[in-house]
Amino acid sequence: MDISTRTRDRVTIVAFAGSLDSNTSPAAQQAVDDLLKGGATKVAVDCTALDYISSAGLRVLLGLAKKLGGAGASGGLRLFGLNQTVGEVFEISGFSKILAVFNTEAEALKGF
Amino acid sequence: MHPRAKGGKGGHIVAQMRPSFRMTIGTDPTQVAGVGRAFGAFAEAHKVPDAVRRSVSVALDELLNNSCAHGSAGEVSIDVELQTDRLSVTLSDDGTPFNPLDLAAPDLGLSLDERPIGGLGVHLTRQIMDEVAYQRRSGRNVITLAKYLS
Repeated sequence: MDISTRTRDRVTIVAFAGSLDSNTSPAAQQAVDDLLKGGATKVAVDCTALDYISSAGLRVLLGLAKKLGGAGASGGLRLFGLNQTVGEVFEISGFSKILAVFNTEAEALKGF
Repeated sequence: MHPRAKGGKGGHIVAQMRPSFRMTIGTDPTQVAGVGRAFGAFAEAHKVPDAVRRSVSVALDELLNNSCAHGSAGEVSIDVELQTDRLSVTLSDDGTPFNPLDLAAPDLGLSLDERPIGGLGVHLTRQIMDEVAYQRRSGRNVITLAKYLS
């Protein structure tokens, strides 16, 4: 998996490319911890190149959402660009109800 | 069945080999990653639809980590077969009897703050696969999975 971060309008955008699973989640956790340590308060996760996610990856996202304070659009975490499988995993796990999911980067950043 | 349906001319039976692969691993988590890579290569080589490949990849990650983390298994074997209408996976380990399907479903109605971190893997697997079954067979835990191709 490749992880890249960029900033746009005071929002930190972190892109996960590849699979977010038990093998890659430690690296993702490290990246997320570094963002928080660096003072990020608004994070948008770019899932455009995310192939699939398992519960190990969900755990990283849930921990990040909790640390960024709160659920849904009022919280500090937004996600966008989910493929069908990632979207399905979010639905099954109930994450689509507790996290703010958008189709595109522009939609995710609007009013963030 | 028409005799030629089974093979070539003259009734000689030509086995229709279904694409398949088999791996046996220890329970070191790094070996789980090897299975994921091998399955990804298999799926690509045999043009398994992306949605099927991704779903099965999730299930493999969940179940193999379960075997490694919770079981007392020393080794796990993985059999994958691409059939005409489905992708079938059989996972078999030599651990003490453990049926992951007995695990209670997580409470998905909880708010973000109440959500425990974890406990989702088996639930995901059951929902994302079309068929999931457990058997205790010859001293092994055997889980069979199927994802339909359409």
